[in-house]
Amino acid sequence: MTDRKTALDKTALVISRRKLLAGAALIAAPALLRTDLALAETRKDVVLVNFGGAAMKAFDEAYVQPFAAQGGRIVLDGSGALNGKILTMVQSGNVTWDICDGGITTLAELNPRNALEKIDYGIVDKTKVPAEFAYENGVVNYMFSSVMAWDTAKVKDTPTLADFFDLKKYPGRRMMRKDSQAMMELCLIADGVPLDKLYPLDTKRAFEKMATIKKELLYWNSGAESQSLMRDGECVMGLLWHTRANVLKAETKGRIAYSFKDGLLQPGLWVVPKGNPAGAEAFRAIASMQQPEGQVKLLAAMGNGPANPAAQSLVPADLRQTNPGDPANVAVQAKINAAWYIENHSKTFQAYLDFISS
Amino acid sequence: MAFPAPGNISVMTRSMAWAVVCFLVLPISIVFAVSLTDQPYLSLPHDGLSLQYYRGLLTSRAWLTSIWHSLVIAIASTAIAVTAGTLCAIGCWRINSRASDAVRVLMLIPIIVPTIVYALGIYQLWVDLKLIGSFAGVIIAHAVTGLPYVVITVSTALAGFDPKLEQASQSLGASMIQTLRLVIVPNILPGIISGAIFAFIHSWDEVVIVLFIAGRSVFTLPQRIWDGINESLDPTIAAVAAVLILTTVSLLFIDIAIRQRRSQ
Amino acid sequence: MRALLSRIASTETSPATDVAGALRPPSPRRLHGAMRYWLLIMPALLLMLAFYLYPIGRVLWISVTEPKPGLDNFALLATSASIHKMLVTTARISILTTVITLVLAYLVAYTLVHSGERGKRWMLLGVIVPLWISVLVRAFAWFILLRREGLINNVLIASGIIDSPLSLIWNETGVVIGMVHYMLPFGILPIYANMNDIDQRCVAAARGLGATRGAAFRKVFLPLSMPGVIGAGILVFVFSLGFFVTPALLGGGKTLMIAEYIKVQILEIVRWGVGTMLAATLLVVIGLLLAILGRIIDLRKLFGSV
Repeated sequence: MTDRKTALDKTALVISRRKLLAGAALIAAPALLRTDLALAETRKDVVLVNFGGAAMKAFDEAYVQPFAAQGGRIVLDGSGALNGKILTMVQSGNVTWDICDGGITTLAELNPRNALEKIDYGIVDKTKVPAEFAYENGVVNYMFSSVMAWDTAKVKDTPTLADFFDLKKYPGRRMMRKDSQAMMELCLIADGVPLDKLYPLDTKRAFEKMATIKKELLYWNSGAESQSLMRDGECVMGLLWHTRANVLKAETKGRIAYSFKDGLLQPGLWVVPKGNPAGAEAFRAIASMQQPEGQVKLLAAMGNGPANPAAQSLVPADLRQTNPGDPANVAVQAKINAAWYIENHSKTFQAYLDFISS
Repeated sequence: MAFPAPGNISVMTRSMAWAVVCFLVLPISIVFAVSLTDQPYLSLPHDGLSLQYYRGLLTSRAWLTSIWHSLVIAIASTAIAVTAGTLCAIGCWRINSRASDAVRVLMLIPIIVPTIVYALGIYQLWVDLKLIGSFAGVIIAHAVTGLPYVVITVSTALAGFDPKLEQASQSLGASMIQTLRLVIVPNILPGIISGAIFAFIHSWDEVVIVLFIAGRSVFTLPQRIWDGINESLDPTIAAVAAVLILTTVSLLFIDIAIRQRRSQ
Repeated sequence: MRALLSRIASTETSPATDVAGALRPPSPRRLHGAMRYWLLIMPALLLMLAFYLYPIGRVLWISVTEPKPGLDNFALLATSASIHKMLVTTARISILTTVITLVLAYLVAYTLVHSGERGKRWMLLGVIVPLWISVLVRAFAWFILLRREGLINNVLIASGIIDSPLSLIWNETGVVIGMVHYMLPFGILPIYANMNDIDQRCVAAARGLGATRGAAFRKVFLPLSMPGVIGAGILVFVFSLGFFVTPALLGGGKTLMIAEYIKVQILEIVRWGVGTMLAATLLVVIGLLLAILGRIIDLRKLFGSV
């Protein structure tokens, strides 16, 4: 009982503090607008959480520095904003993160639990993102695809997604991600469901399709693992992120090939935990990160596709074919549907884990 | 305590035991080989040997900082765990009642509960207390989860310790602290040391808790390795492991050498 | 020093001093003594209560409050096929790991106590050094060794022992190999510590009385070493139950054990009620196991009571 009460008190406190801050901002607004200097003095640090690794350096160049040039400050934290962590912070009323690098599943699990701030589209420019990936509580930050890659030393010609499930035509082991997201979709596409008629997903049919090659399937956890399974010849074909497929292609000098055809285009999302410390400054940071130049830098560094359609024309010709958001690549892919995931993610993911471990 | 001559067991038993030890060190040999790889990812050397990852390790601020962070955290948390755990084991051993038995069982709980559950619990608590991303937070969490190792090993050592020694010491007028320092601790020192080693290694290798409660200012070695494995299978990981193994083995040899010199 | 003290100790407990002790007013001093020893326990107990049991208690409390108050989460234990399967997998792998670890650990510990100083030192080195390699790094060493085109398969094929590669990884075999490797030092060290305390004269006496080497081992040494084996067994089994990284990395995604299951519930699909219910169940099961074992053997012996 006391626990709940203190939690309530805390929420009340947070709310009143935020109200106060909002009020203060209103009063101070004209003064702040006067000079950039004054703005810089009072602007808060925005803590941006991603999953660490190479993204730290890439985000720094693509996002942190441009925002600093505008007088703001983004602080990177690579500790990984998993759903359970965000929810704990929000429930304790002691949020220390402002922006989290999440995805559709973040939205699917945390939105119903009321743990995410609404994106302030008064500050974040909705016209600078594809409309279908601008959600109420999350906005696309970059795009990635789940694609099929294959080992040209063992798979002749160019296989189709249907061939992934054809053990007679191309014998050998395959790999999929240890997560239902995108894997269900690719099963259905391979089974003949048109790209634009995937949702609502017929998961039963997808599992039946998977069952046909189950004895030859491995499941990867991390992107690096997916790379190593293909590179070391453990698998002849695999479904993986385009960023990893891209690195593999370069690393193996083309022995591993991949195609965007029949892939699934997904948005990486910025989400803001409810009660974030920097308040609206978080949205200013997001708005700053919408600049196409930084997004193209991120594409060059990590292969993440720019979210801003205006960035497409800035992409150098040699990078276009690796850009999942390039019009030519978008045309041959399906697009993920967030609404379906909000309804169905947890049970589908659980069913998937049960299926692969049986 | 006289043991029979070394030759008193069958050759078969002995060679099987050595086979098990070979199985134990097998991955180590792989780690050394991989650390010399010329490839950009974790793999055996392909066209030749290269020291690039050792060079990279010694010049990389990130790796060195992580080693330093891990060292500080492991030493501090081991010190806490060993002090508290040893005292607790001795107290329980001396009291020897139902209540003290209950305490001992209580001390085992951290190795029973899956770490992931504790990680969530301590994450909640540290969020409340604003200790996320602090050294203190990680040190306390590692000390508490390291306690069972110390309590177990010290208790086991105490089981082989004759309580009459302690009674004798006290009847000779020694205070409790003197008895602890001069009689009990020296006699159970091997148990305390192995507890300390386990507690240190526990902290040194712990990744699940730190992935929750570490933050921008704390970045331990296992976290860096986890980062490297998820990101790119960076062979620096193998170089780090190799350096650690070499350090350990040299420390052990120095220890042995010192002892031999003393006994001469 | 030790010998001297035990001699003093034996005179101390001679009838004469006992009488003297009985003549002293006993209770205040003894109470005081016990209180003092509780002081020794306090630091660890407080640390444990504040920074372990309290946060864990909060988490476990969720199991009866999320998503709504009641025992609904626990009902899943009876109804969920998914949970059943995962529990069976967890039990199977943990038992297998424990049994294999104990057999191998016993072998090593037995050889250790029967080795000369030199052999002992090298062997112990081989046992302790692997503790320093991160589980993460080990997993990748196994990957290099065990995969289809890995070292072991290549050597076996080249030497003509097998024709086609064995499936040593991405299945339960791989998981058990990785887990046994991790657990071995935790099995060897307690068994070895216990064997070290066995008075070898007992075995020698049995041999002297005409027992064969095998019989002397079975009838004398083995029973005397059992406390160490059981202690090590509990440690290894309990560790195995909560193991997370190795099954996740070496199982090829197909081996779902309880720790990973809980992780998914807590971190990814945020079904905290289910995840914490499983954690609570695990605690209860292990508690019961210890209780049952306590009836078979004197657990207190393991932890140093006399």
